[in-house]
Amino acid sequence: MSVKTLLIGLDGATFSVLDPLMEQGVMPFLKSFLAEGARANLRTIVPPLTPPAWTSLMTGRTPGQHGVFDFFRMESAAGRHIRFFNSNDVQCDTIWSLASRQGMRVTSLNFPAMFPAPKISGHVVPGWVPWRQLRLACWPEDLLDRLKTIPGFNQRELAMDIKLEEKATEGCSNREEYGPWIELHIRREQNWFEILRHLIQEDPSELTAVLFDGVDKLQHLCWRFLRPEDAKPLDADWEFTVRELCLKYFRQLDGLLEQMCELAGPQATVMMASDHGFGPTYEVFHINTWLQKNGYLAWSEGAAARDTEGAVLGVGQVARHTWLLDWSRTTAFATTPTSNGIHIAVNRDGNSPGVPVAEYPAFRRRLVEQLRAFRDPKTQEPIVTEIWTREEAFSGPHAEAGPDLTLILRDGGLVSILPAPEPLSQRSTIGGAHRPIGVFAARGPGMKAGITAREMSILDVAPTVLYSLGLGVPCEMQGRVAEELYHPESLDSHPVRRVKAGPAGVNGSAHSAVNSSALPSQNGSGAPPLEYEEAVLDRLRELGYIE
Amino acid sequence: MKASRGELLDYVLRTIEELSRDWDYSRPVGPESLLFTELGLESLDVVVLGTAIQEHYKFQMPLAELLSDVGQRERRDLSIAELVDFADRYLNGKISVFETRVSQ
Repeated sequence: MSVKTLLIGLDGATFSVLDPLMEQGVMPFLKSFLAEGARANLRTIVPPLTPPAWTSLMTGRTPGQHGVFDFFRMESAAGRHIRFFNSNDVQCDTIWSLASRQGMRVTSLNFPAMFPAPKISGHVVPGWVPWRQLRLACWPEDLLDRLKTIPGFNQRELAMDIKLEEKATEGCSNREEYGPWIELHIRREQNWFEILRHLIQEDPSELTAVLFDGVDKLQHLCWRFLRPEDAKPLDADWEFTVRELCLKYFRQLDGLLEQMCELAGPQATVMMASDHGFGPTYEVFHINTWLQKNGYLAWSEGAAARDTEGAVLGVGQVARHTWLLDWSRTTAFATTPTSNGIHIAVNRDGNSPGVPVAEYPAFRRRLVEQLRAFRDPKTQEPIVTEIWTREEAFSGPHAEAGPDLTLILRDGGLVSILPAPEPLSQRSTIGGAHRPIGVFAARGPGMKAGITAREMSILDVAPTVLYSLGLGVPCEMQGRVAEELYHPESLDSHPVRRVKAGPAGVNGSAHSAVNSSALPSQNGSGAPPLEYEEAVLDRLRELGYIE
Repeated sequence: MKASRGELLDYVLRTIEELSRDWDYSRPVGPESLLFTELGLESLDVVVLGTAIQEHYKFQMPLAELLSDVGQRERRDLSIAELVDFADRYLNGKISVFETRVSQ
């Protein structure tokens, strides 16, 4: 068996960073890859955020269809508590489950929304899992012990360390922290590469995919070093040292891309994609402070003082908002600093605080109008440039789990949810923030060479991956095969097939990913294991397909 | 899958002991071990551990509520026994996720 399609995820990659690096000779392999293949801008979904965007890339569907909206989600529509997202939130098939169920082996490394791991034929090392829990997350269950035999394998540096993740959004507290932090990501990407190499050499999969997330982290923290033209020119020696380290990261990444393409072999299709783009951010919109000043939110007693203990934007204190807010006087609030989403507290049972159901449409309209009217006190420019209602952003069967409003800010940045003296403040240093346009690049059999294709949607990646594997594309996928990347004669000899997924295609998460023929029989009959069958039936019952 | 509180505790202790070998944690782990200050876990570790418990026994529990409660305590910590007690209440039907949501 050999690799048929290699999908390389570059979290947050943007051509506004990659193009200059290619021109400066930092990424010569990527330059040659694009010369021999195709490139396109890749438009992501709303919001341009890692969990929903990668899930859209893996499913070919928007968040309202797949069910992932943020790093967190409300435990219930009427509740206040939020929980961290996981693979059970993904309510439709993924490329992993579709390929596995059709008899292909799949290796998926470091993608989010993969824990608990789907029991596919192949290997899963989920991303966004704390390093101490990695053993629980890997599939098959003995995978971590196999990976530990790889020389240099470092579990702690491979998986997530929440304190380091927070640094990407909060910044280094001093200049000495940058060097070790960038070096850590250089080692981390090498770690992921070594796993990929080991699995390709020892136990290959037709669909092999790996996600490098250091691109996103570096761009968040080091934007001004990567693109000094967006900030004030670099001046001090230490600033040039940090820039050199950033270039070292991208130089190493380029080398890994080359080695991965060699490992996959000349007959493999190689695709590279990012979940969103990137750009500079100059200011912070303190959304809950704005809501408070406009009468929508009340802080609990002592909330402002309490959070000065560790006033961070990060994801560590997942339940913080539950005690920071006075719920009896709050009608609209933001629970997370990641999705720019506002939730409206609705009084559904007639006895709770919040907006009466009948008044919801007018309440939301008024909130939207006030947000649009909020201006920079100095320039009178609007701060919130786009506002998406839940129906506009998240149409689909799972829309209810999304925020009522999603904001796009003028500098593309993320909101802060913490108390602040004023709703708008300037960042002390320019950082990087997500943008809607990411990258796509591909090279492989039947593909055109050296073209810049028209803008693609992130929803097009999953259908294009399936097509490259020779599989049909489920009609339920909202994206399309990017046929413009292929020679017409190739499309003639291998036409795109749209197929109905049917009941067996429901839910790509833990229970429906297995093609029983691709796994050892557990009951000796060659039939699917009973537990698996029961799990599938339970899932179909839950979804209303059977009674 | 049903399990008694004792079986649940055994499962959680066994899981943590197995995981802790990956952290080079050599001290004994027992019901009174504190997840944050003794074992060095982050809240997200507890979320993942809780998800694994739910996945293993096929039930749901509102972990966010537990973490919210811990966040407001004088001593912001959680023992293994407390985590097991919380899971036991939902696994063994002493309280349902639905009841919790209605009461919010």
